[in-house]
Amino acid sequence: MTTPILGISTEEGMDISGVIYNYTAVKDQADDFTVTVQNENVDGGYVYQDTEDWSGKYGMKIQKVIPIAYTPIEQFGKGSIATTGTGSIENASVLYMYRWDGCRNPQNNENCPGYVPPMPVIPVIEIYDALEDENVQDATEKKDGLGTNKDEDTRETEEEDEEKERLEIAMAATENALTIANTASQATLLHRINNATNVSSYYVAQIEGGTYRESMALQDSEIVDNKRALRSLGQDNLMNEMIEEQYK
Amino acid sequence: MNKLFTIALMLGLTGCSLFASKVEAGTNINGTVESRCTVNTDTSGYYGNPNAYTLTTLPASAGQVPVIRIDTSLANAYKAQISYPTSFSSSPSLGDTVVWTGTVAVDQTSSSDMSGYQAASTTADGGAMRIYPLSIAGATWFSVASVATYGGGQQKAFPGGSYTAVVIAECVAQ
Repeated sequence: MTTPILGISTEEGMDISGVIYNYTAVKDQADDFTVTVQNENVDGGYVYQDTEDWSGKYGMKIQKVIPIAYTPIEQFGKGSIATTGTGSIENASVLYMYRWDGCRNPQNNENCPGYVPPMPVIPVIEIYDALEDENVQDATEKKDGLGTNKDEDTRETEEEDEEKERLEIAMAATENALTIANTASQATLLHRINNATNVSSYYVAQIEGGTYRESMALQDSEIVDNKRALRSLGQDNLMNEMIEEQYK
Repeated sequence: MNKLFTIALMLGLTGCSLFASKVEAGTNINGTVESRCTVNTDTSGYYGNPNAYTLTTLPASAGQVPVIRIDTSLANAYKAQISYPTSFSSSPSLGDTVVWTGTVAVDQTSSSDMSGYQAASTTADGGAMRIYPLSIAGATWFSVASVATYGGGQQKAFPGGSYTAVVIAECVAQ
């Protein structure tokens, strides 16, 4: 039995204890007519069947209670009202009486006996091994000399390009600054040139003439060689020879 | 000889005393009977007032027909006696005649075997009471319709106020 049919949640722990049905039998008294209210059992057969034989009776409204031993709702299959003979039924309804055993499944409530706290789901954590990373492996892979030189060439080319760009930017900035300052400096320059034209005071200056005699005199008649310097030069010469010996 | 006479005299006096006195004791035997038949109101009724001079339980006139449920667990042991009202139990002062009509009918049953109850019923008390032999154990619902008309056929208006009438339903041992 499904929730839409029953009108309530069909969870584990619900037992049906009875059925109340009613309908109005519409028939002539002389006609044979039977009405059976029933519910299939999922294991075969029927959970209950109740038949009213209206043959030879007046048709009228009936309301009946069918007690059922507590039966798990999972046992209930399709319900139906079947008729035989001449007649019909109107305004039929079937109500199910139930009880709810909340501890049929102890896991429904933590207060139920036998309740076992559920184990939390432990997530699977993947441990990262850097040595297994493809990118790391590529980066740490040994390169031959040619590859290294190629990389260095590429890097040098890029550095040169960057340097050139910086220089162009700097020159452009300087050029712009000169253009801006040019107009202001021209006026100042003309002013200074005008001031410089008055140089007559330099022409009238006079320098006193005369003779400047040699005032120095050598008193020693012989100049002695510097032996210390000569020795030092000799050692330097020896040192140079020793150094050059390495490259022979 | 004297002793023998004395003993005989004592026995004689004792016997005379036994015949002369009387002792009595009364003991009650109590018992209760729980009826195997119950009467309950399934649906309360009320009157509609389609015009000034009529009170009716017909749903078409905004009234409601009361329904009485009678259950018996013993077949052929009881009979149901149900009467529609023939007077108001409470109402404003009425100076004119009220004409009462009504019907008692089997509304529904708990078994198709009871479908003959209506045909098997009889009337009493001028037709206001209907008697149903309860020949089948189970539940039976009876509907009781009631109409009160004021003025004795002259269609006089009911005085304003509250009106109450009573349907009597009984389960009587046969």
